[in-house]
Amino acid sequence: MQETTPAPRNPTVSEKLRRLIISQEGVLFLIMLASVLFLATRTDKFLTVDNLLQQGRFMTEIGLIAIPMTYIIITGGIDLSVGSILGLAAIVLGWTWQELGFPLELAIITAIISGTVAGFVNGLFIVRVGVPPLIMTLATLALYRGLAEGISEARSARGYPEWFFQLGQGEFLGIPTQLWLLIFAVIIFGIVLARTRLGRALYAIGNNETGARFSGLTVNRHLLFIYTFSGFMSAVAGYIFVSRVSTTRSDMGTGMELDVIAAVVLGGTSIFGGAGSVPGTIIGVVLIQLLKNGLVLAGVTSDATIVVIGSVLIFAILVNNFIQSRRGEG
Amino acid sequence: MNKTLAITLILALFLALVVMPLSADGHERWDGSDELDVNPLECMGAEMMDDDGDMEEMDMPEYDGGMVAMGDSMAGMDIVVVDVPKLIGIGYFAATTLGQQQAAEELGNVSVSTDGPTDANIDDQIQIIDSYITQGVDGILFAANDPVAIAPVLRKALEAGIHVVGYDANSEPDAREWFVNQAEFNGIGKALIDSLVSQKGEDASFGIVTSTFTTPNQARWVSEMWAYADKCFPDLDWLETLEAQEDAGLSFQQAQTLINKYGEDLDGIIALTSVATPASADAVNQADVCEDVAVTGLGLPNAMRPYISSGCVQEVYLWNPVDLGYAAVYILRAVIDGEFQPGDSSVMAGRLGELMVVNGSEVLLGPPFAFTAENVDDFDF
Repeated sequence: MQETTPAPRNPTVSEKLRRLIISQEGVLFLIMLASVLFLATRTDKFLTVDNLLQQGRFMTEIGLIAIPMTYIIITGGIDLSVGSILGLAAIVLGWTWQELGFPLELAIITAIISGTVAGFVNGLFIVRVGVPPLIMTLATLALYRGLAEGISEARSARGYPEWFFQLGQGEFLGIPTQLWLLIFAVIIFGIVLARTRLGRALYAIGNNETGARFSGLTVNRHLLFIYTFSGFMSAVAGYIFVSRVSTTRSDMGTGMELDVIAAVVLGGTSIFGGAGSVPGTIIGVVLIQLLKNGLVLAGVTSDATIVVIGSVLIFAILVNNFIQSRRGEG
Repeated sequence: MNKTLAITLILALFLALVVMPLSADGHERWDGSDELDVNPLECMGAEMMDDDGDMEEMDMPEYDGGMVAMGDSMAGMDIVVVDVPKLIGIGYFAATTLGQQQAAEELGNVSVSTDGPTDANIDDQIQIIDSYITQGVDGILFAANDPVAIAPVLRKALEAGIHVVGYDANSEPDAREWFVNQAEFNGIGKALIDSLVSQKGEDASFGIVTSTFTTPNQARWVSEMWAYADKCFPDLDWLETLEAQEDAGLSFQQAQTLINKYGEDLDGIIALTSVATPASADAVNQADVCEDVAVTGLGLPNAMRPYISSGCVQEVYLWNPVDLGYAAVYILRAVIDGEFQPGDSSVMAGRLGELMVVNGSEVLLGPPFAFTAENVDDFDF
């Protein structure tokens, strides 16, 4: 993103603004703004603090998983098993608590550890055995879901104590509790990607993995880390999900991987690797959630809504490609 | 070091995979059943006709439904109602929607629209209901994808003064006011096992095709079938329960799996979703084993007509989903008009007449209904 200019001079404010607007995130942000304004004119129930905060609650799980997914797609990989890891972590939480009699705190930690291990196993096979990420995580998509169904024997765990729901259903300083977690994660991991050696290494791997290896980057260790991180975040999202819906089921998170990948790609991350950002991803997550909610409020039925979301996805990518290619020429 | 760790992890994972199915105990209930109490009915031939109703009245439990927040009375006024089924785009819920529209038309002061997830996803359903609460409707009808997960959002509706009535699949009782029970679980369990026994005898071997092991209705039916078979036909041989979501292609494959895996040993298939029953009949038909394998289960007449007419399938069971949707709208209207209150033992529902209250806050639609070659042409849904 950052180009070194031969003669260092401070860009004027208008130049800065222009650069910001025609950036990937800028274009997407304008599309989001236009959608919000349009929806707000269709119904007065949409642009209210209560409704927007409620949407923040609903999008937290997808938002949390979308961060490591951005990292992974930037390196040219993919993780299809995130929804299954979410389901596995949820089941481990309920099962260790209800069947094995763990204290609930320990059950939560066990659940997050199992999700992390699940991500680690993905990474291990990808870097040690050289299985392509698509194949490996497609396999574990089925495997982890099967484990979840096997462990739970397809029974759900219910009847959690009141404090457990604080994270998923409560609020802190007037904002849904889990939304704080998402905001915190976005800031931290956004900075990690944009401003640290780790972040630059991920872009380098995505642009040219062989090159990155020859420049002495520990590519394997980086890849192992991001797949493990993905498992960890999916498990945390699983915990939040259980706390929000107050039950565990082995089919939790089914199909979620596609929602996450759609948000990441909509956010301007290149599926071929090498480009993308956390702010872009979050705009993608927010845009999809607001469209889903706003269209229902405006009286569009939910089957038509998914058609609109698909169209917006294509439109946003086309507009972005058009503007980026013009910028490249100019 | 790293390698040792890796190998240990992989071994542990696969060990867990292999051991888990083995640990299942042979005396457990059939796969796909839940752990709730069962209440099998009297065996075939031993029961008196229509003794059901009297038994219910003997010990009627207290009303255990929820209470709506006080608001302005909407009695007699026009109301806007949204119906959120488990999913949209399948024949079954198209039929409940049809019944709702018929009721709305008869009543004249109700407008109902149906909106729901395109697959049976708990979170999508919750978000859709939440959006309609924000939009501000007068009543919500629902068929829950999960009884617990849907409860918080329904309670939010009650707190907002919105009346809530469930049908087809229940939630926790205090999260809604009334639930229209299409058929009691033990009634269905008995009907399906009796159907199998009357076709293939008391020592038949059979498999079950269900939606998923966690779907509340299907899990209850499997439990009640198990309890009834255990009590009345202990020689029945249950082979396997297979999951097929509510997906036609997958149901077909699962039925084929049963046919190929058990071959001659398979006497019957019991299919528990409106999608799995025609798919199983199709699989049996294509494998040309109509004579050897009896298909029974829950099915919609339109989808089952070809197989029933050709004689490949003798009978399938269901309630009338059009009546189910119809009753839900009448009950919601009666609740809003103050004509149907906690403690009442029955409610009037238009052309269906008087429906009885059971289990505290449920309204029973009636006994299961058999679709056979004689009557299947009388129905269109």
